[in-house]
Amino acid sequence: MLKYVIRRLVMLIGIIFVISVGSFYLIHLLPGDPAAVILGTGDSPSNRLKLYKLLGLNKSIFDQYFIWISNIVRGNLGISFISQTSVASTIRAALPIDLEIMGLSQILAFALAIPLAMRSARKPDGLIDRLLGATSFTLLSIPPFIIIVLLVLFVSIKLGVPNIGVASYVSFGTNWIVNLESLALPAFTLAIGSFVVYYRVLRSDMIATLQEEFITMARSKGISQRRIMWRHAFRPSSVALLGAAGVNIGGLLAGGFVVQYLLAIPGLGYTLIAAINDSDYLLVQGIVLVVSVGVVLINFFFDFTINIVDPRISRE
Amino acid sequence: MSTNPDKLLVVNNLATTFNTSAGPLPAVGGVSFDLNKNETLGIVGESGSGKTVLARTVMGLQPRTNVTVTGSVLLNGHEMVGVSEDEKRKYWGTEVAMVFQDPMTSLNPVMRIGKQIDETLRVRLGMSKNDAKAKAIELLELVGIPSPSQRYSAFPGQLSGGMRQRVVIATALACSPKLLMADEPTTGLDVTIQAQILNLLEDLKEQFQMSVVLITHDLGVVATRTSRIIVMYAGRIVEMGTTREVFTNHRMPYTRALLESSPKVSNPSHTRLITIPGRPPNLLKLNQGCSFAPRCAYATDRCHQQRPELQIAEEPGHSFACWNPLPSKREAATR
Repeated sequence: MLKYVIRRLVMLIGIIFVISVGSFYLIHLLPGDPAAVILGTGDSPSNRLKLYKLLGLNKSIFDQYFIWISNIVRGNLGISFISQTSVASTIRAALPIDLEIMGLSQILAFALAIPLAMRSARKPDGLIDRLLGATSFTLLSIPPFIIIVLLVLFVSIKLGVPNIGVASYVSFGTNWIVNLESLALPAFTLAIGSFVVYYRVLRSDMIATLQEEFITMARSKGISQRRIMWRHAFRPSSVALLGAAGVNIGGLLAGGFVVQYLLAIPGLGYTLIAAINDSDYLLVQGIVLVVSVGVVLINFFFDFTINIVDPRISRE
Repeated sequence: MSTNPDKLLVVNNLATTFNTSAGPLPAVGGVSFDLNKNETLGIVGESGSGKTVLARTVMGLQPRTNVTVTGSVLLNGHEMVGVSEDEKRKYWGTEVAMVFQDPMTSLNPVMRIGKQIDETLRVRLGMSKNDAKAKAIELLELVGIPSPSQRYSAFPGQLSGGMRQRVVIATALACSPKLLMADEPTTGLDVTIQAQILNLLEDLKEQFQMSVVLITHDLGVVATRTSRIIVMYAGRIVEMGTTREVFTNHRMPYTRALLESSPKVSNPSHTRLITIPGRPPNLLKLNQGCSFAPRCAYATDRCHQQRPELQIAEEPGHSFACWNPLPSKREAATR
């Protein structure tokens, strides 16, 4: 098991190196110039040259990358070109928002998907199963940026529910009620996408598991249907669910961008889009690094959980 | 029906029909038999003859949907047909338990074996966690699992097939059932392990004062371990009698064919095994006559037209379903 963990950690470093090179190269390919953003009206060739020297942008892209990565190794993410604040502090302020939205959406998605998938699997092709199947498929076909707009229209404007959807973001510590109100719609929107995936994956695995002989044996012991579903069928059916959750949650760390941007929630996604627009190279690099480490770690965590949930996997 | 106190199980005209997309499939077509207390009854037949479905239906363990069960099963006086799963569940584990065919698939692969035994004790007998654990370890020891307290926390994948089948048996015995349905308990196992498991079942039957229904396609298994045998073909009983009668004085050609097709130690080596020509009938397209007629050397027109019902042979308790039975050995001897 220890060997497995070490192997995964070595892989993690490799993955992050590749991602950082890729994103560093891509951001430099983008049209846009940080000097133009900073100088604004004072833009002149001589000023520009001075600024390039100041920011280190006159060096070759290889040198720039080398300087950046050697700072990263020392734990220094650098200073934003535009705001002149440290990248680390900007990320530290934004990351909790992403984590909160992600956490809320996942709690909601699991809380809905698990009981409904179990209900469906009890009578496949029954009325409830068909209704849920149709609903989930419909939800799957609507992209989140449409869902969020429709939700804002309906909940905040049509129903006129105060704060929800229009409250500007306040941290949980300052005022948790306003905080939850401001994040309710984005969390709900992202939950829908996860819910559909989790519901469908768990439903089909539950149906397969319930055909197994060990379920008949559990029945023959005289234990209740409820207990059979939760104690016997759920765990062996949840491997694909955990795998899907790993990929999905990783994706959500980066995938909430559109929703954040639409509702002006200052999470990592929002910050990243702004940084790209401003050609704020170091801030972009910092966010990409944090998100990719997060994605890899989350996947690692879920792979690890799967090993524990299904002992058949770890023995192989 | 009279309730005879010696009868643990009275099955009357039991039929199980699966409603498939291709039409109704009569897996068990009207079967009646009974079982005394402390008796071991053998049910033999080819694959697909309805043995397993019969065993499950007797227990009430048929699938929940797309199946129709008619007739009656009185288990220790409790009707098991046409009652809700909640009702049947009261008798599962405590009155009747089953040893499943394939120990590779009948244990939950992600649950420690001890927990699988515990569960029955805690849910059905309301034992405390510690009591249940102690009892489970005791049961593991009883079925011959070495170092049971360590094995208690093993996963099924860490045990061999024979050991797993012992765990299945321990689980079935946990609540001391009065009737044990053993559905081909040795089919998935090595020949060397088979005898061990069968002997274990025999010992446990005495120890727990149980009745046993032993289902098998291997006549060698039932020959010495049962008092009576039911021979099934295409979902029906074609011959039924004491083990001795069925082996020595069978009247149904199918029974003879089945006996002849088992290898005999007394045969010289390289003797070709006698096989039954043809294949078991498609239950979706059963003929109106005797279902064995298409494969039977003695079949006449009548066999193809009219289904023979079970008729009583001269020996009490022996009956067979055949229009052209083989001559009775006893009659032949007295002639």
